Amino acid sequence: MTPGARRLAVPRSAQVLAGRGGRPIDVDGHEVVAVRESWLIEDRWWTGTPLRRRYWEVVTIDGRDLVVFRDLEAGSWFRHR
Amino acid sequence: MIVCVLLPRFELVVAAGGREALAQGPMALAPEPGRRQVVGEVSQAAEALGIHPGMRLGEALARAPRLALTPPDPVGVADAWERVLARLEAVGAAVESEQPGVACFEARGLGRLHGGSLDGVVQAVRGALRTPARIGAGPSRFCALAAATRARTRSAHVIAGAEGLASEPVALLRRRPGTAALPTALERLGIVTLGQLAALPRAAVADRFGPAGLEAHDLARGRDAPLRPRVPGELLEETLDLEESASGQQLERALGLLIDRLLARRERRGRTLRAAVLSAVLVEGGTWRERVVFREPLADPLRMRLALTSRLALLPAPAESLRLAAERLGPPAAPGRALFDDKRAQRALRLREAVGQARAAAGPDAALRVLAVDPDSRVPERRAVLTPFEGGEG
Repeated sequence: MTPGARRLAVPRSAQVLAGRGGRPIDVDGHEVVAVRESWLIEDRWWTGTPLRRRYWEVVTIDGRDLVVFRDLEAGSWFRHR
Repeated sequence: MIVCVLLPRFELVVAAGGREALAQGPMALAPEPGRRQVVGEVSQAAEALGIHPGMRLGEALARAPRLALTPPDPVGVADAWERVLARLEAVGAAVESEQPGVACFEARGLGRLHGGSLDGVVQAVRGALRTPARIGAGPSRFCALAAATRARTRSAHVIAGAEGLASEPVALLRRRPGTAALPTALERLGIVTLGQLAALPRAAVADRFGPAGLEAHDLARGRDAPLRPRVPGELLEETLDLEESASGQQLERALGLLIDRLLARRERRGRTLRAAVLSAVLVEGGTWRERVVFREPLADPLRMRLALTSRLALLPAPAESLRLAAERLGPPAAPGRALFDDKRAQRALRLREAVGQARAAAGPDAALRVLAVDPDSRVPERRAVLTPFEGGEG
């Protein structure tokens, strides 16, 4: 995408503590009380910049519904909302 | 006096990545995907084997089995040629160019600017081009072109008229789009020079070759249409890199986004678009370019979309990036007044004015809308983008 266009839902870096199986326990200082869903995305595996993400939709203790993912290539965590 | 600047094999040189590549053996531009299966420009080594531009691919390969075919790069060629034309215009030339590699301009008005002589103009042009070029001059565009093909020194070669053209080969007609198909037939009939062609009765030429024959006959006699220099224009273009190779509906949405962004550009100042150039970098390598002239000057995104979307079907392969450029701008759009009072139309008009005002104050990002580019994508950030509000200046 060229600089003039602005994407929506661009992932932002997040501080996530993960437990067994990569399950998020804490997102940006908010404790996770429930995991609603988890899914895996693998794309562009045929290119030099493959995209591999493990997504988690979680509910935090203050009632927020968040979508976070772990970039399985770089190992870092991001959140969409 | 008309001056012709000739950069031989320009398209081939750009597509091959430089003049050095042409020295490695016979080389020709491959046909564009989905177009006629004829070769484009050819290298000197290929020419020596009897291959010429416009020859059928099969025949060219039969003549030179080791012929290297270079994928055409119409977008790269257009960009490089635009830079050359801009340099010529920078020395004051009002340039006409029918094809990349050949540009003509009238030297009369430029003489005073550059020492009062043709040599002064030629020197100024060489200085501005910063690349080796053949320069010829003559009373008509075709004479100047013939002179440029003859030119070998730093000074311009001059062909004064029909007498100077008489000994030139008819193959020169390949350089004009209207007569490019004639030389093969003429050579088969034993007519190898322009002098021989000029000596033929005009009616006989018209009878055998039709309008193309008449044009060739005029050219051989030193007559040519007057120059139609282009109006040096502003470059308004928008590019979108498609992260996933795109085709079909996704490409149409990307085109919609480009149209909105192009129309929202402040430099457009409410003017309409007469012609646009749609181009793409293809996933399989190479580029694709399509010029679209609208039936009337447009600034309506819906009508532009209708006119341009059909051209996307001509794309020979999925695209990595898509570019839309305004080639010629028309007069400012003047929306017609409604016959009856229409509240919807009034509301739309007020909204348009409000958006225009907001943009004038805060730039093109002042009024945006959400455009679903790829709503079914599994990657959330690829689904939607913010794009200029289409009901804006228009």
